[in-house]
Amino acid sequence: MEIRASKLVVQNLRKSFRSQRSEESIQVFEGISFAVHPSEFISLVGPSGCGKTTFLRILDGLIPHDDGEILLDGKTVIKPGPDKGFVFQESSLLPWRTVMDNVILGLELQGVDNSAARKKAERYIALVGLAGFEHHYPHELSGGMQQRVNLARALIVDPQVLLMDEPFASLDAQTREIMQAELLKMWNHTKKTVIFVTHQIEEAIYLSDRVVVFSARPARIREIVKVDIPRPRSLSVKRSKEFLDLADHVWDIIQEEVLKSMGREREEGVL
Amino acid sequence: MKSVAKKAPLLPAWLRSSRMIAACSVIIGIAIWQLGYEGLARTYYFKAYAINHFFASPWQVIQTFGELYRSGELLRHCYFSFLEFVYGFSLAIVVGIPIGFLMAVHKKINYYLDPWVSCIYATPTVALAPIIMVWFGLGIFPNSLVVFLGAVFPILLNTYTGIKSVRENLINVVRAFGGSPLQVFFKVMIPDATPAIIVGLRLAVGRAVISVAVAELFGSEAGLGFMVYFYSQRFLPGPVFVGIVVLVVFGILSFLALEKIQSWLSPWYTYQLQRQVYRMEVE
Repeated sequence: MEIRASKLVVQNLRKSFRSQRSEESIQVFEGISFAVHPSEFISLVGPSGCGKTTFLRILDGLIPHDDGEILLDGKTVIKPGPDKGFVFQESSLLPWRTVMDNVILGLELQGVDNSAARKKAERYIALVGLAGFEHHYPHELSGGMQQRVNLARALIVDPQVLLMDEPFASLDAQTREIMQAELLKMWNHTKKTVIFVTHQIEEAIYLSDRVVVFSARPARIREIVKVDIPRPRSLSVKRSKEFLDLADHVWDIIQEEVLKSMGREREEGVL
Repeated sequence: MKSVAKKAPLLPAWLRSSRMIAACSVIIGIAIWQLGYEGLARTYYFKAYAINHFFASPWQVIQTFGELYRSGELLRHCYFSFLEFVYGFSLAIVVGIPIGFLMAVHKKINYYLDPWVSCIYATPTVALAPIIMVWFGLGIFPNSLVVFLGAVFPILLNTYTGIKSVRENLINVVRAFGGSPLQVFFKVMIPDATPAIIVGLRLAVGRAVISVAVAELFGSEAGLGFMVYFYSQRFLPGPVFVGIVVLVVFGILSFLALEKIQSWLSPWYTYQLQRQVYRMEVE
């Protein structure tokens, strides 16, 4: 019943890597299950190296998982495709392509007619606030502008779900705040379902309806924190008591996990 | 704070540009050569040691150039050498790029070919030229083979490193949007490896020009290398220097042409030079 109403369902997902030094396999995460409603904004946070990015890539079908199931609109995810839009970390634009040619990439790969693709791209470039920069190359843009292109490139394929992998991690604090606010505006406009990976707790809370907190490796879901701050949220929300309490709560969990994993590493002689 | 009055530069800006300085340097060098020769010609030693059989002044080189050009001899040699260069270099591209690519994407192929590539690359072409002459006789074909051997390895090895250093995250981008392996190849691997391949071509041009000269020294009926050898045996320095200068100019021109091709094919690349491109230059 719950599965019907959900956009994206993750059931009992498990992933392990084979260690290069020894033959034993390393558990990245196990028993990950949650369901995402249509148009919901979900963030994933957790201690560094807990496998958030791996998890997101598995959701996209870029890398295989060992066990469990991913259902997007009730269909099993096997491989990447235009039903999922992926926003990568910094410098993932093709440097030999202009803004325009980068944005139409997804349509081009599907074999959409070039002039139709360009027309559509103009709309999306304008949506992310880059009208007039169509013929610039990525190296001519600032980090923030590059990530806008990155976003437009993911939105243009009209995906069912938007997967974002620390898209603002490399931006300076000011630009990041502006991009967060703009992302919310765009989300409001497009009503996409978003899975957003970040290591920034306040970013996660500011953007999301729910924040999924991962434990240290092998990762499990420690808690799913509901963010009941009404929308639209202005940037000043970040100073409200409600917001700060939530941030403290998430931070406590993560700190606990970090300490736990440090203790384990000390035992294993890593540290 | 004390303000320091700036001194006006001695020369106007257009005279201080890097190109201008480079041009002046060359002109001064040639002038010293000319004046030195003229000075020497007025001394006792010039006649006593028959220096005009060993050296020529720039002016004499220009005059000889004119004579050789008018008689058609120079063009005949140029044509011969040019053909060798084109045949050898084209073959090096046709062979070097695919093999470099295969070695980069296929581990097994790399294991099999790597020792051979290393061995033949380390072998000086100069040492191989005589035996190639023995096998195939004199003519354009064996000489082109020497040029091929000289040029193929920088192309092959740079293609290999170029493909190896294609950025994983860019491949993932195309895959994430549903790109097929073929699309990954044409839309990421080729463009991302292009700058490195062109660096290989640029290194190969220099080696190819050397190989042209070397092959013709060992045995040939025509060509610039042959011309240099032929006239040096007859103690006629004028045509010797003409041959050398033409070879140098040809080398520089093809190098510059490839530089242009690079900025035309990959304008984005100059901004990414920070990224390490391994320049494989041995010898």
